[in-house]
Amino acid sequence: MKKAYSILAYTFIIVMAFVTLFPFVYMILASLMTFQEATSIPPTLFPNEFQWSNFTQALAQAPFDRYFFNTVFVAGASTLGTLVTSVLAAFALVKLEFKFKNFILMGMIALLMVPYEVIVFTNYQTIAKFGLLDTYQALILPSLASVFYIFYLKEYLTSIPLSYYKAAKVDGCSDLEFIWKILIPMGKPALFTMGILSFINGWNAFLWPILVTNSKEMRLLSNGLSSFATESGTSVHLQMAASTLTIVPILIVYFIFRKQIIRGVVKSGVKG
Amino acid sequence: MKKFTRYRAENSPQAWLFLLPSLVIIAIFNIYPLYQTFKLSLYKGSLNNLTFNGFQNFQVVLQDPKFHTALSNTALYAFIVVPLGLIIAMFIAVTIYEKVRYKDFFETIFFIPYLTSIIAVGVVFRFLMNGDYGFINHLLSFINVGPINFLDNPSMSITTLIIFGIWSSLAFNIIILLSGLRNVDQGYYKVADMFGASKLEQFIKITLPQMIPIITFLSIVNFISAFKVYAQVYAVFNGKAGIADSATTAVFYIFNKFYVENRYGQGMAAAVILFLLILLFTLIQNYVLKRISK
Repeated sequence: MKKAYSILAYTFIIVMAFVTLFPFVYMILASLMTFQEATSIPPTLFPNEFQWSNFTQALAQAPFDRYFFNTVFVAGASTLGTLVTSVLAAFALVKLEFKFKNFILMGMIALLMVPYEVIVFTNYQTIAKFGLLDTYQALILPSLASVFYIFYLKEYLTSIPLSYYKAAKVDGCSDLEFIWKILIPMGKPALFTMGILSFINGWNAFLWPILVTNSKEMRLLSNGLSSFATESGTSVHLQMAASTLTIVPILIVYFIFRKQIIRGVVKSGVKG
Repeated sequence: MKKFTRYRAENSPQAWLFLLPSLVIIAIFNIYPLYQTFKLSLYKGSLNNLTFNGFQNFQVVLQDPKFHTALSNTALYAFIVVPLGLIIAMFIAVTIYEKVRYKDFFETIFFIPYLTSIIAVGVVFRFLMNGDYGFINHLLSFINVGPINFLDNPSMSITTLIIFGIWSSLAFNIIILLSGLRNVDQGYYKVADMFGASKLEQFIKITLPQMIPIITFLSIVNFISAFKVYAQVYAVFNGKAGIADSATTAVFYIFNKFYVENRYGQGMAAAVILFLLILLFTLIQNYVLKRISK
């Protein structure tokens, strides 16, 4: 009886793992097929010969190298900005006492409840008013600070005893020195997780880039891929190559930093 | 006698300096747009030429049959995807936690969809769900089902969207549930084993009650994101709301009003309605789940 349960459990989990993984596996396989193989009936599972030229063809039809650079640059700059602003703000909220502190905290908690989709369209108008449509600034500026990450970091830094700060003060350490020499080294695990999560979010963002960019040169991978899927029509093998280009870099990051990423998501509870 | 003013080393107005960068960005991109959303919902006309319109926008939106479709699609999606996604994720998490070796391996696999671009995955799903050469129809043909026209049949659109929604929601649920299972006090199970309770009894009497806070959290987070469903639709129907707008959702409606039709007032009125619905629903759900856990 116990054995039967065990077999049932393994069957179930392997079927579900297959369902989860198959789209990715088949995406990579199909990215190496010829058009005939990719659209054959019944479907081909393995390409006869690896068609690496699909990737160069996809690159020739849409500037994925440019999208790639844009995505790395925008996600990187946003992440760096978020880290800097969050460290400064979290320091003030954790280690300093000042008037209206509670008011600021309450205000931020209230802001956390506002759905992104409710403010994203009026943000678009703000960017348009600034005359920044279709620029890197438009893509980066709104994500230079995040209430969510300030709170995430604040929770973590609370565990550093206040006496450290007082002792540093007595020794004549300035606030910035304290942040640089004590807060950042001690907060490293949280900062690291935050950095990866924010980078991945930036990588996969798509509603905002769709709104604020219109020229090909400014697109990111996500909206670049989406318009490529429209333009390339039935060339599914090229679409699979382009999807592979979008997904595989993140998979590599994931396999390297698996533990930190999972722990970070569990702790922060952000649904992607 | 001179009164001592209370001196505290950490009473420091320079805090504002450290908060300034964040506050500026938050003020411009979080607070101001919220104010604008509410304001615009009461106005009509182009952005340079706004005229006050009272609650007319709300009337128009509330009477728009397209908005009704969008809302009912959104509700249908939420009420199917969230419970099913949670139940399936619960089965997977419990199986990984209790029955299977190589837990890390399976955890790693099941988490992948959380990280991958929904747009890219959508492109892949369109390929897999193709009515002619799609792999899913090929698999279905073995059990004599189909071929099913997942993508170009208006009456299939929502089902397709729901399948995709459940698939993409599992990863987050599984990871959070697993972390919850790991935190259940093992002592309870030992005692239960001693008294000869079956595994099923243990699950219902020990695991589930202990997991209530996590399930509450997950169902609220899931419902909120289901009410805002947009990325999944955009991804699986390649930028459209399904064939003949058959899978249009609330956020899609807002997007179209605002970005395509340039009826800003009506778009923002719909956004305000959605915002209030989400708030209301979160409060009700919180209340109900609290009652249940008592």
